[in-house]
Order: sequence, then C-alpha cells, then structure tokens
Amino acid sequence: MNRTTLLFLSFLSFYYSVGHAQNGPLVIGAGQFSDVEVTSSSQSNNTQDDNTVQANGFLPNLTATSRFLGQATLGANYQTIVSVADKGEEQWLDEQFAMMPAFTLEQYVKDLTALAADSILTRGGDVSRIEPQLRYWHFGWWQYVMTTQDLLRSRVALALSEIFVISELPQLRDVPLALANYYDMLMRNSFGNFRDLLEDVTFHPAMGVYLTHMNNPKANPAINQFPDENYAREIMQLFSIGLYELNPDGSRKLDGDNNPIATYDNETIQEFAKIFTGMTWGDNFVFGRNATREQSYTTPMQMFNFWHESGPKTLLNGTVVPDRNPVDGLADVNDALDNLFNHPNVGPFIGRLLIQRLVKSNPSPEYIARVTAAFNDNGQGVRGDMKAFIKAILLDPEARTCPNEDDAFGGMLREPMVRYTHAARAFDAASEEGTYRNRMDDFYNLTFQRPLGSPSVFNFFQSNYQPIGAVEENGLVAPEFQITNSVSIMGYGNELHDWVMRDYDVMQLSSVFNGEQLTTYHRVNLDLAYLIELGEQGKVDELIERLDLILTHGQMTPKTKSLIKNALVDIPEHRADYRGRMAIFLTMISPDYLIIR
Amino acid sequence: MNRRKFIGQASCAAIGSITSMNTLYNLMASNRLAMDSSAPPNDYKALVCILLAGGNDSFNMLMPKGNAEYDEYALTRSNLAIPQEDIIALSGTNNGRSLGLHPSMTDAAAMYEAGDLAFVANTGTLVEPIMNNIEYGQKQRPIGLFSHSDQIEQWQTSVPDKRQAVGWGGRMADLLNATNSTSGISMNISLSGRNVFQSGNNVLEYSISNRGNGASGIEQIGTGDAGILNRLRNTAVDSLMSDIYGNVFKETFANLSTKTIASQKIFEAAMEQTGTFPTIFSDEDPTLSRNLRMMARVISSAQALNQNRQIFFTTFGGWDHHDELLNNQQYMLGVVSRAINQFYQALELAQPGLKNKVTLFTVSDFGRTLTSNGNGTDHAWGGNMIVAGGAVKGKEVYGTYPELNLTNDLVVSRRGNLIPTTATDQVFAEIAKWFGVSDTNLNDYVLPNFSRFDQTPLGFLL
Repeated sequence: MNRTTLLFLSFLSFYYSVGHAQNGPLVIGAGQFSDVEVTSSSQSNNTQDDNTVQANGFLPNLTATSRFLGQATLGANYQTIVSVADKGEEQWLDEQFAMMPAFTLEQYVKDLTALAADSILTRGGDVSRIEPQLRYWHFGWWQYVMTTQDLLRSRVALALSEIFVISELPQLRDVPLALANYYDMLMRNSFGNFRDLLEDVTFHPAMGVYLTHMNNPKANPAINQFPDENYAREIMQLFSIGLYELNPDGSRKLDGDNNPIATYDNETIQEFAKIFTGMTWGDNFVFGRNATREQSYTTPMQMFNFWHESGPKTLLNGTVVPDRNPVDGLADVNDALDNLFNHPNVGPFIGRLLIQRLVKSNPSPEYIARVTAAFNDNGQGVRGDMKAFIKAILLDPEARTCPNEDDAFGGMLREPMVRYTHAARAFDAASEEGTYRNRMDDFYNLTFQRPLGSPSVFNFFQSNYQPIGAVEENGLVAPEFQITNSVSIMGYGNELHDWVMRDYDVMQLSSVFNGEQLTTYHRVNLDLAYLIELGEQGKVDELIERLDLILTHGQMTPKTKSLIKNALVDIPEHRADYRGRMAIFLTMISPDYLIIR
Repeated sequence: MNRRKFIGQASCAAIGSITSMNTLYNLMASNRLAMDSSAPPNDYKALVCILLAGGNDSFNMLMPKGNAEYDEYALTRSNLAIPQEDIIALSGTNNGRSLGLHPSMTDAAAMYEAGDLAFVANTGTLVEPIMNNIEYGQKQRPIGLFSHSDQIEQWQTSVPDKRQAVGWGGRMADLLNATNSTSGISMNISLSGRNVFQSGNNVLEYSISNRGNGASGIEQIGTGDAGILNRLRNTAVDSLMSDIYGNVFKETFANLSTKTIASQKIFEAAMEQTGTFPTIFSDEDPTLSRNLRMMARVISSAQALNQNRQIFFTTFGGWDHHDELLNNQQYMLGVVSRAINQFYQALELAQPGLKNKVTLFTVSDFGRTLTSNGNGTDHAWGGNMIVAGGAVKGKEVYGTYPELNLTNDLVVSRRGNLIPTTATDQVFAEIAKWFGVSDTNLNDYVLPNFSRFDQTPLGFLL
C-alpha cells in the first residue's frame, strides 16, 4: 500500500460517511458549536455536503456527533446521537454541566440492603446479620450508567476513578458502602473545582484506609516510629504533580545537563508525611480505633491535633508551613493542598491523564498546553474549574477533528469497561423490572476491569505503558494495552459472543437476597430487533452503515465493511436472523471499533 | 533499535504519513536478533518468577534468631518485631548471625533444610555498587528510588538507570526462543497477564488463566446451521485481524489478536495431549497455588508444546503493608510458603527429577523501612528474596545479611532504608547462566549493567 492508495481509502471512507448522512433522518437544529472547526471523517469542504446542509447553513453531522459522544459518554444510542447533533455539542455540554447527580450510589446500596433485610424479616430471620454486599455497589453503578441522563458525569467520574484510585482489592471489597460513597464523591466533584476534589479525596475514609493515612500518628522517635509516607508520596506522584517538573505543554523541564528535574525527593515525602498525621474516622471519639460500623466509611476523616505532628514542614517550591502553636492539623493540610493545587504541574499532569481517558493516548504538546491554560484560568480568573477543563479537553480541535485513515498515531484502545457500557447503552439494554443487577464477576475475571477494581493504586494500566513493537518504536504510549493479552482478547470476544450471538443476558444477574427467585422479569437483554430486521430484509449495507454510525463513529474502513459484508451475504436465507448479530459481533471485535479515533 | 523519548510527538497533523507507514512496515518485517552461534540446548529447563507486588517487608520474613542479633532486630523494629520464640530457626549462619524464618513459613523452612530452598539477603536495585551512606551521596542511584512504579519495574528489567518496558526475562527469551522455534507459542508464559519481566524486544508473553486448560478458544455458535455460521464468522475474524491498518494501535491490536487465536489452538491441543495431571493442589487453594498448579501442568506439557525452555511469571499482590503488617504477613507469607512447596511436590509427582530442571525465585518492589509507622512500614530498598528448586544449593543464606541497627553505614534514612549489598544483576546473572545464556550475551544483552558488579558467583546455583 502506498500513499496514493491511502488517500484513495480516505476518500472512500469519506464517501461512505456522507452517503450515510443522506440516508439518515432530516435533522434541523443549531448545528455544532461555533468557535471550533468541526470536520468529520468526511471533510466538509466537498460539494456533496451541499445536499445535506440545512437551512441554517450547518451540517448536522451524525458521525461527528457519534464520535464526540464516544469520547464524552459511556455509550450513546441512535436517538441520543440525533438529539445531540441537533442541539450541538457545546450546548449539550452546558446542559450536562447543569445537571445534579440523579441519585447517590450510597443510597442505592442502602436501599438494596433494606430490601434484603425486609426479606429476612418477613421470614422471621435475624436482620442484624444483614450487611451491604459487594454486588450491590456494582448493581448501583450500572443502574446509574443505564438509567440516568447524567451521561457526561458518568464518563468523567469513571475517568477520575482511574486517576484517584481506590480499589475493592485487597480489603475495601468488604465495605461496599465505602466504594459507593467514594464514587458518589467523585461524581459530585466531576463538575466542581479540582481543589475541592483533592480535598475530598484526601479526607475520604476509604482513601484513608486504602493509602493508610487513616490513624497515622505523629512520630515517636523513642521507639523508632515515624509518620506513614504512603499518602504523602502518592498524592504527589499520582494525584497532582507527578515525578518531574513540567512545562505547560506537558514536556519535561530540563536542567543544565538536559536531565529532567524531579518535583520532590524523599525528604519532601517525609515532610508531607508529617502533614497527613492525626486523621481518623469522622464518627469516632478516639484516635487509632477501627471503624465502628460500615457507615463510618461515609463520613470524612477528622483531625485530632494531639496526634498531628507539630513543628514547621517544608513543602514544595520552598513553601514552609509555620510552627503553629497550638497545633492546627487542618490548617496544615489546607496549606499542603494549596501548595500542591497551585503547583504549575497540575494542569499538564492531570490534563494529560484526563485526555488519555477521554480522547487519545498521545495528545500533542499544543493540545496539552491549551488544556493547561483552561485549568489555570477558566476565563474568569478561576483555577481548577473542572467544567472549563473538561470543555477544553472535549472541544479542542485535536479532539474534534476527525482523523484520516493515514493518521497513524491518533486515537486509543477503548478500555473493556467502556466497550461493555457502550454495547449496553447503544442497544438499549433493559429488563422488564428496570434494574441492572450486574455483578460483573465473569467480565472482571476475563478482562481484568470493573469500576474501582484495579489491582493497585497505579490503576488497571499505567499512563506511560508502551507495548513492544510499533507503538514503542514510534515513541508512543498505549496504556490500555497493558491489560490486552491472550486472556483478555479472547475473554472479551467470548463475552461479546454471549451478549450478541446468543440471547444470553448482557449482564451477570445476581439476586439481592438469598432465596430471591430471578425470573425473566429481571433479565437484561440488548434490543437488537431493528438490526436483526434489517438483516432479515437483506439490507446488509444499511445494517453496516447503521453500525458504523453507532459503534465506529463513521470510522469503519471500506475494507472492514467489505469483510463484514462478505460474511453476512453468505449466511443462508433461513438463518437471516443471524445477519444482524453477526454484523454487531464482527464490528465490535474489529480494530476499527476497538481503536477509537 | 532506535528508541526515541516519549512525549506527545504525534499530533494528528504533525507527522507525515509516509514516515509513519515506513516505520510500520519496517516493524512488520520483524527484526530478529542475532542468535547465539552455539547450538541451542536440547535439555529442558524452566524458570518461575513470583512477583510479590507492593514491596514485601522481607526483614520480617527472614530475620535474626540468635540472641544478640535478635535484640538488635527487636529494638529497631519495636512493635513490629516477631517474638523470638516464634521464629523458625534455620541451619547455618550468615555473616556470623543465626537467622530464622517467619512462623507461618513451615513448608519453606522444611524445603530449606532439605536443601531445595535458599535466600539471598539484602538484594536490591543498583546502578553501580554503593558501599555505604557516604557513597550514597556520590554515586548514581536508581531512578525513582523508594517509588513503587519505578522499583517494581527495575526488579523486572534490572536496568535501574533507565525507564524501559523490556525485562530481563524477555531479553533471555529474545535469545533463547529460537530453541522453541517450532512451538508457535511464546516460551514466556504468564499467569498474570502482561508484565515487564517477560517482555523482550521481539518476544511477548503468552497469557493464560488458571482455569480449565488455561486458554479457552472463541466460543462456537451453537445453533442450527452452526457449521456455516461458525465458518463465516471465523473467516471474517481472521481476515479482520490479518488486514493491514494504517494506524499503529489498530495494527498492534490486530497482531495481538492474530497471535492469540493461533496460539490458543496450539496450546489447547498440547494441554489435552498431556491430559490430567497428578496434583496435590486443590480448587480451594489461594490464587497463587492455583497459578503454580497451572504452571506445573504446562511444564508437564513442554514436550507437547515443543518447548525446551520456558519462563513463567505470576504476581501475588497486596504487600504494600503501610498498615496491619503483622496480620497480613502472617497469612500471605504462609500462602507463599505453602504454594512453593506444593509446586515442587507436584513436579516430582509428575516426573521424578523434574524439580531439578525448574528454578523459582521471588522478586518484590523493595524491602521496607526497618522502623515502624505505627503498625506498618514504608518503602525502602534492599530486601531478602527466595530461590528454590532442585538445582538450588539450599540450606544457605547467600549474600550478606545486614546489621539491623540504625547506626550502621548502610542506613540512608532515619527510617531504616538499607542500601542493598547484592545487586539484582548478581542474582539474575547466576540464574541466567544456569538457564543457558552465554557470558557474551549476558553482558551485552541480558544484563547490560552486570559488568559493574563483583563477578564472583554467589554460589546458589553454580
């Protein structure tokens, strides 16, 4: 293949996309946001565009909107794509920002616990033994993702949960209320200010347990006992500034010998370790005790000044926390969080991580610099405004410009959890009961992912992971490939097989309480009727175009389309019901789908 | 190979497509490393690497037992010291000290006394030898010392002056995979997915699970006319994955998928050929035991897989004990001890003498601070590791077990972070030589920093 062929393929790809837009319903609306150039896989300067331009002069580009929603949500169905294309991406973002969380996962877990208690009570059992179960948290997570219109928050919160990592492993799995409340906290802060997010993460008891600054006492040198350094290290390395001094564009600052400059050393960690002493359960009267009840994991930690390290502490950039007398632990923590929050690294460091979760693995320095600028100042002099940050990430030209086929380094591998929610949302997974009782155990075993299920604080994969081969050779990173291996590739294929090729539940159903009978009323299936019908009617091209719009966002190559078409047209007529299923399966395992660009 | 530094060089528009496509094509041509000219070995050997992820506090795994040295240990470790009477005494001495083992590790102690297990004391990542805390301020230190992400990687690369994703197990496989060239499966087999240790420049791990035959195939469509439906699907899948894509990520995913599909068929056939496996493991065992059970089965299938060199890897995580150190280690060290013993018993059941061909070792991010932070410990540096197998000269602690007071000149922080007295290179060099890597390849390729350290073998294998 040479350059000419590639251009030809790009042209074909463009032709197909435009062809689709003509087939879609007539959409009249405000079009796209005004101040950013929008192009789709179809370059909008072609004369054929004239056919689809509406009275207002904008092109309601469904594939571009689908691609946007592929980045900004955990999955969108056809109706959502049409509706957002109609109102425009920026207006949709503003509407999403204005929403309040629909419900709390904590309450959902409690409600299920009450339901279980009720069932025991009515059978004369011992209610005192009823506790929230780990699966309730997963049920609640799916309920939120599938039933609310809070699409952007759902996406951003999942991204934040992969940066501000806590995990069910090894021990929080025993306290699902902690996981639910922590996730509620991330959702609440998704559209707030980064400074508040950092503070709420720091004081959350689940984090206190996970990174062990809960019940961290001041030093007692007489018995060789010193403050725990765990949270001090990770809040710097992972949650705020990273290891090296950065320029606003994410590149490393270099010293006179062209070496990167470390942001902190072990002495700094020991100083910050002193800051995070004296914190314990918010509902306890005594320092150093264990949690008295599961509900303890939902109250922010409190400070016991007696157990807080006294004396001055030297922070970053020469800032010194004064020797407060009397000791004031909360003031110390506030100073330290301000010190981190105002470090110039936060914008490029967290910005790159968020871009990697939402848009692409290898953003350009210019893209990171624009996102950093939005973090540093939202336009009204406010630093850390998450709305401005998210908007800058999603509406940046580099995010919005649709790639050509010869864009060799663009995009990212969709992570397994997002493929899962995408299938469920794109095809309106639903049960008659309206619940999503998905315990996700099989999916977790096969793909290594479920929310708050990472093996360590370093997430399911690291942001700088380089698979051997072309990615590494080109100096690129591809984090999601760290969990892509022979087990997860086959595991995902077989999960997909169950959802699509069989009429299996798309969720791994589980009861709320022992003895609850699960019936067809609880079953969650994909709604594939329309696609199966298209297949049965022999409308194979239309079927593939539909999937290209919803799943691959207009990025399916002509070659992929023809390979799928070949498989479909040879299916015997009396098994025509399998055409739709086969088309979805092949699309969702194709590299054109798995790499979102 | 040209490794450019990462940082966002690839904007959508900035890089021309011709350059990138050429690079892709060069890679597809697959550059094979020059092989050792000597004939490939025809005997069987395997290595097993267990990563204790999080940083095992190994000065509470292998600790002083004799009175004077125990008092020093107890003083430094304060509330984290294991009672002297509970420590399992080990034969022999190191550096004049009587040592002992954590009370939960009775199986490992028995293997030690039987001569099938040994320890290497105070080992860690080193760019060059650092003799004391004065040299600590003068010499080059590992990148990201005391940090999980860097140290866990460096224990797998043994190149602590660089950040790289190529591990020394992968580099060995780059050289030795030719001996398995008819296999079709990577000689690096992982029970814990992708990892740095097994990633070479040309070889990637083959990941399996501990369930069933280890690798299940793509499910069959089980409806009427299943034959044609399966055939159409499989053909389309193969075509999609063998197509050429103009994007590195698509290309990478497609290549991985093609390999996965091909390998799975070979692997399952070999495992079925070997059939059921005599085992002393149980389905109720912890994951580490079940992973080692699967390894023992694959080792028994080595002939059917056409492999005479295999490198296995598994992770056992959760060792970052900033908190609740004593309770957690009581359970987790017991799991390690029992699993290793089960593994070697199973190998001997499968084929007497097989244990002599399989060498196992543990690695971990780092040792932990000697001092307490309340009821846990923090990140430090040197630690103690386990080596096991019939080829190991057991009943011995190799290297130098350090003094555990805070005034000795190996201590670099008041927290009690110890400078390692044995480099990972020294331990791994001995393992690599046993495995069949030549001296030339060892220094030039597998362990590029090894020449900076004492070349005298530690003696646990040779």
